[in-house]
Order: sequence, then C-alpha cells, then structure tokens
Amino acid sequence: MNAAPIVGRGLACALGLDAAECVATLRAGGRPAGSRRLPGGLGGEFPYFAIPFEGRDWYERARALATRVAAEAGAQPRCRGALFVATSSFDVGAVEAGVKGAAVGDYRRFVDAVAGWLDWAGPVYAVSTACTSSLNALIAAQAVLRAGSVDEALVLGIELENRLTMGGFAALQLLSRTGSKPFGAHRDGLVLGESVAAIRLAAHGDSAWRLLGGANVVDGANPTGASESALNAMFARTLAASGLGADQIDLVKVQAAGSPGNDLAEARALRAAFEPVPPLVSLKATIGHTMGASGAAEIALLTACLENGAWPVAADAVDPELGVALAVKPPAVRRLLATILGFGGSHAAVALERT
Amino acid sequence: MSDLIITGRCVEPPAADWRARLAQMLGEKPRRIGAWAELGLYGALRCMADDGEATLPRDAVLMLASRGGTHVATRAALDQMRDDLPMPVAFLQTQPSQLLALLAARLDFPGNACFLAGASLAEARALAEAQAGAGGALVGWVDDADGGATEWLRMRRSD
Repeated sequence: MNAAPIVGRGLACALGLDAAECVATLRAGGRPAGSRRLPGGLGGEFPYFAIPFEGRDWYERARALATRVAAEAGAQPRCRGALFVATSSFDVGAVEAGVKGAAVGDYRRFVDAVAGWLDWAGPVYAVSTACTSSLNALIAAQAVLRAGSVDEALVLGIELENRLTMGGFAALQLLSRTGSKPFGAHRDGLVLGESVAAIRLAAHGDSAWRLLGGANVVDGANPTGASESALNAMFARTLAASGLGADQIDLVKVQAAGSPGNDLAEARALRAAFEPVPPLVSLKATIGHTMGASGAAEIALLTACLENGAWPVAADAVDPELGVALAVKPPAVRRLLATILGFGGSHAAVALERT
Repeated sequence: MSDLIITGRCVEPPAADWRARLAQMLGEKPRRIGAWAELGLYGALRCMADDGEATLPRDAVLMLASRGGTHVATRAALDQMRDDLPMPVAFLQTQPSQLLALLAARLDFPGNACFLAGASLAEARALAEAQAGAGGALVGWVDDADGGATEWLRMRRSD
C-alpha cells in the first residue's frame, strides 16, 4: 500500500464555481434544482442540477470550467504528470448542439482537446466506466504513481449537460420527477446534474488528505443495477487495498442516488460490511448525480465540507426499512470511504485518510 | 519493469465469418449488444481460449481501449433523440462499460474492469501492468473502423 497525498482539488457544480463557493452555498441552504424538458411519452419535466455558468458554446464553456477547476487544484501548465480525464458523455453535448468541429467517432479528439486546454505535457488517459469513471481514474492514478513513472497525477472529471444522457436515463425510467431523496422513504429515482471536478495526487508530500486505496468490482449480471454481492466485494477489497479494518472507517459517502432498488442493495451491503454501520452521507440531493465526474466532485465537496464544518441536509426522511441513517452533522473523521455505482455493473470505492 | 508475460493472444484481423464463430463460442447468437461489443467479445474469448482459460481470476485486471468505441450506437441514439427518447437498449449500447459487463459475465469475473477511451493497445497494456494483481491482466483494443480490429493479450505473472 502506497498512500497518495491529495495535494489539490477543484470543483464546479450546481453549488458554485469553486470549492469555497460550493461550501458557502451549501451552508446557506443549497441551491434548488432547475428543470429540463424531454420529448416523448416518457419525457416531460425533470429536475436537473446545472452549473451556474454560461459559455459562448459547449466547448468554450467546457474549456473555461476545466481550466478553472484544474487551476484551483494547483495543476500547472506544461505539467509532466499523468492526466486522467474521466467522463461518460465526452463532448456529445457539443455534437447535439452542432458546434463546429464536434463529431462522434474518435474519443481522442476530445481527450486531446482537454489536454490542450490545460497545456498538459505528460501522458493522458481517458477513463470511461459510466458513473464510476472518476473513481476508477483515481484508482488508476494511484497505481501509476506507485509504479513510479510519474510523480503527479490529475484526475479531471467532466460531465456536462447533454440531452442524450438525460434522455437515456429517462427512457430507462431511472429519473425522479420530484427530486433527489437519498435512502429516502419516498425515493423515486435519480436527479442528474453536471460537474467538473479535479483531484490532484502526488507521489510524496504533505497534504490534508491521502488516498489510501480503492477497488472496482464489475458484476455482469445486471447492466443497470447494483449487485449486493459486488458491493460486498467492493467494500472488502477497498478495505484490504487500504490496509484498513471496517472498524477504522468513520464515515461512508454513499452513492444513495434515490433509486429504489440500488439504495436497498447498498443499505444491505453496508449492514453486512460494517457492524455497526458508521455515519453515512450522501451529496446527491445537493448537486445531483453527476455521473462520470461524481466521484471526484463528491470527494472534493465532502473534504471541503469536513474541513469547514458544513453539512448537507437530507431532503427526505430515511426509509426505515433500509436499516441505515444519514448523519445530520459532520462527524469526527480520520478515515472515510467514498462509493459510486454505475452502469455496466461497476461498483467502485476509495478510502481517504485525513492527516 | 513488469513481470507479466503474454500467455494468450488474439492479434489477427477478425475472420470473415467471425460472427458465426462468436455464436459458436457463446452457444447462441448474441442479441442486442451492438456490433462493437460483439467484436470485443469475439476477440476476448479467442484470446482466453488461446491461453486455455474460460474464466478470469478475480484479482486480474481487464483493460479495454478503443478509438471510436460505441460511435455507431451513439449516432443511432442521437438520431432517436431528435424527436423522442432513445430506446433503452440503444442508450445502453452507447456506454462502452456495457462490454465490460458482458465480459465480466462471460468470464465469471467479479473484478476490476476499465475502459480507456482513445488509448492504444500499448497504453492500455501499460496501465493494466500498473494495476494488475496476482491474476495478471486481460488487455484489449477493439475498433470497428476499416474492417474491424479486436486485438487481445492475456498476461500472467511469470513467477
């Protein structure tokens, strides 16, 4: 186990354009979701958490947000570290909008564009494992640092608005029409959102937080839902990779996106993995589920909240049948787990330690 | 330096009758997974067969890369989205991670699987080597342009 110091973070999401603004907005009660209208019989109005930032076109907006977030994380131009772009939707929003130069068919074009925006000089990878993309990018980044080929890695989650993703989730009847209710008694689906978030890791150095380890477990049995056995394996392997026992975890940032079935599977797995279950927190009602960027975005927001004593308020009473509860105030945290579940049977978690 | 050695491979272009061969390996024709995923399954199963394996150890890493990936499915879903929602299957086919799930199911592999967009086989191999546990790695590059390519390497620890 080689822990990787987290030497920087950056965040743009529905709460604001940097981590400090996000914490201040959350402390003031948050920002209500907007809405988006989708066509067709299963369409209609759906809540949506957009980043409060306009751009001349899709690429200009993405470039401005990515450079801003990377700079907040301390990334320097001409960096020779490894860049991990994490996304599930790439630039499909630009294709939909007919932006000049946008096209489907070559992922590298978008990845190279992002590297160009950051003036990145080192190796560039693009991880796309649906909603677990940025957690898997963190796991891969830690491995690359451990291998010693680079001494710095930037994970940049980018998930910006597009109709295809929202339409696809709506077609699968996974979206809520009422709001995000993590583990809620009245939960009825996900609320999507957009975020751009960066986590900067180093091979050495001082930092407030360290990435201890992580695990990704893919279960092929269900392409859209969570698997309890995979969740059990994910918790066990994350703890093992981090050199921790279950009793050393002070907080779990759960997925709890408000899906009736997935929330139930996650609650059961938490009860199986931890005795007693540590305090839990979900950020989905605050910024929405930001898919491939969610892992990086929620870690950036959570660590900022813990450092500043801010805390999200649950939007709904927790379902008593789940047998778990969400913490109502920030607990004392030395070590935490952060979990994200995604399409393609992907279940990912990482362990962080406050130094 | 990695101590992984190549113990199975599928590097030749897909045979003209690759779909029939895939159906034979699966015991049935694959349904509603898209041509790109079919091509990936074909190559991965041939590579595993070359190594004499039917399952992938849980502590292996599965690393998949592509240049264009699911572009055909993405174009189809975007077309559908003009007037209505995309068909659920069409949307799922836009996600490269669906091939990871198919491979995990077929190879009885509850482990770490990752898609690297735009990476070469060599880049995917390097990242797999950094992450591989005792079970080694299965690394693939799948693309349906120019007649299609599905190149796979099974790598194991030398000790």
